[in-house]
Amino acid sequence: MSRAGLPPEPGRLAPVRALAAPMVALAGMLLPVAWAFPAGLPFLRAAGIVVAWAGGGLLLASLLMMVREVRLAAALGGLERMTRWHHYSGMAAYLLLLLHPLLLAAEAVRVTPAGAWQLLAPGLSPGAGDVAVWLGWAALLCLMVGLAATFSAGLAWRYWRWLHALLGLGTVLGFAHVQWLGIGLGAVLGGVVAGVLLLWRLLRIDAGTAARPAVVRAVRTVAEGTVEITLAPLARSLAVLPGQFVLVAFLSGPRYRGCGEFHPFTVSGHDPDGALRIGVKALGDCTRRMQSLVSGVAARVHGPFGDFMAGRPECPQFWVAGGIGITPFLAVLREGRLTQAVRLLYLFRGGREAGWLDELQALAAADPLLTLTVRETGPRPPPVDALLPEAATLRGCACYLCGPPGLLGALEAALRARGVPAAEIHFERFDFR
Amino acid sequence: MATVYRLSTAIFWLLVALAGGVALFAPAPPEAPAVSPATRGVTPAELAAHATEEDCWMAIRGGVYDVSAYLPEHPTRPQVVLPWCGREATEAYATKLRGRPHSPEADRLLETWRIGSLAAP
Repeated sequence: MSRAGLPPEPGRLAPVRALAAPMVALAGMLLPVAWAFPAGLPFLRAAGIVVAWAGGGLLLASLLMMVREVRLAAALGGLERMTRWHHYSGMAAYLLLLLHPLLLAAEAVRVTPAGAWQLLAPGLSPGAGDVAVWLGWAALLCLMVGLAATFSAGLAWRYWRWLHALLGLGTVLGFAHVQWLGIGLGAVLGGVVAGVLLLWRLLRIDAGTAARPAVVRAVRTVAEGTVEITLAPLARSLAVLPGQFVLVAFLSGPRYRGCGEFHPFTVSGHDPDGALRIGVKALGDCTRRMQSLVSGVAARVHGPFGDFMAGRPECPQFWVAGGIGITPFLAVLREGRLTQAVRLLYLFRGGREAGWLDELQALAAADPLLTLTVRETGPRPPPVDALLPEAATLRGCACYLCGPPGLLGALEAALRARGVPAAEIHFERFDFR
Repeated sequence: MATVYRLSTAIFWLLVALAGGVALFAPAPPEAPAVSPATRGVTPAELAAHATEEDCWMAIRGGVYDVSAYLPEHPTRPQVVLPWCGREATEAYATKLRGRPHSPEADRLLETWRIGSLAAP
């Protein structure tokens, strides 16, 4: 397996990679402002123009950070960091672009009290009606609706993704607004960059041309509502390290109707012939459908991403898995014997929800460095304080956490309260919306 | 971040509504005094001598206009307008963007900058 393009250590990103995403956002904001900086204009009008270019540039940076290419993700500090800065840039752009018409309107008020309204709603004012302004409004409304959908946690994925796409449309309309104002070069450059990034995401990532073909070799039920799927590569296999995840889409066939959407799954095992194993828990419409997958179904696999378990330190470790969060740890244990003492705390809700239990117990029995503790927590969030070991036994330990976001937050807080430094607490969030 | 979105969007619409309210209830501005068209003849050579951002004259539909003071206020970037300083700019004025003419309001505003008429060379 090759380590080319992968980061050396989790949680200890080289400064260049740690700063890459914010630097891209900063450059996206400053470059267009430097190019279009308005000299000699009244302050409010100049400020209105500056925030528009800064917002437009940030939108482009945000678009770049939604392009989930393996090398790009590695360069920008990982998919999780990219997604975070996709959000930050998009939100900052929105705030700046809200300010754009307000600042221009504030300048217009200086001429006449009704000037602000004439500027904001030219079509409603006598004798006016500027396409450029209405294009600007259309762009802003697209951003507004797209962000409203983005923050609607309860919105079904199939609606969410299309409404979220309005943000891309808003960006393109924004540069059309610039074009209509007569600023041809800026509009063309911005529009072309936006178009390229949107097409890149659409064709390479969403349509799956960046992914590699694979076929389902086996499907095994490992717990209630959880299956382990073995994917055999149909082309060159991916070089995956334990703890990494891939984006997988299952296609439709005679015996299975695939969603065709890419979802992230942590690799739970990597067979010598290049086949990957992923654990899939029924958490939504698409993953529920995957429970009925059969061998022979075509799939596309994109990745690998992430560095969760890479470069573990030479010290005792404490791993905590919540439910399906066991998969990265399972991948490490399946690679061979441990070289450091590991305490693995496996939490599951109850019933038959604990997957791979027999295999984990067999691994623990065979490896004296592995101590396995399995705890049934019940349907409610567990009181993590009672589940964690004493502070003294965690001293000098590196902690690795994987599970649902609520559990991660509670575990991190409890570990910090026990004196574990933040740098020794490693986890990865899988919320890429 | 969701809170920032909701708060900023609400404030934005409040300010837009405020601008609408001001326009609705503000007293109508007094009619602009009729501008008597200047009749001084300006030759093309004299026109061409005023071709800078600080001193910008344009010939539009036979009239000559000193738009120097207005340039900073013009909606597009100065680079769009500046090439027309010191020149016959009727075509540019009539086909502002994508062939569209300027609005009647712009015509009215333009007249306030009139300084004369384009004379024969």
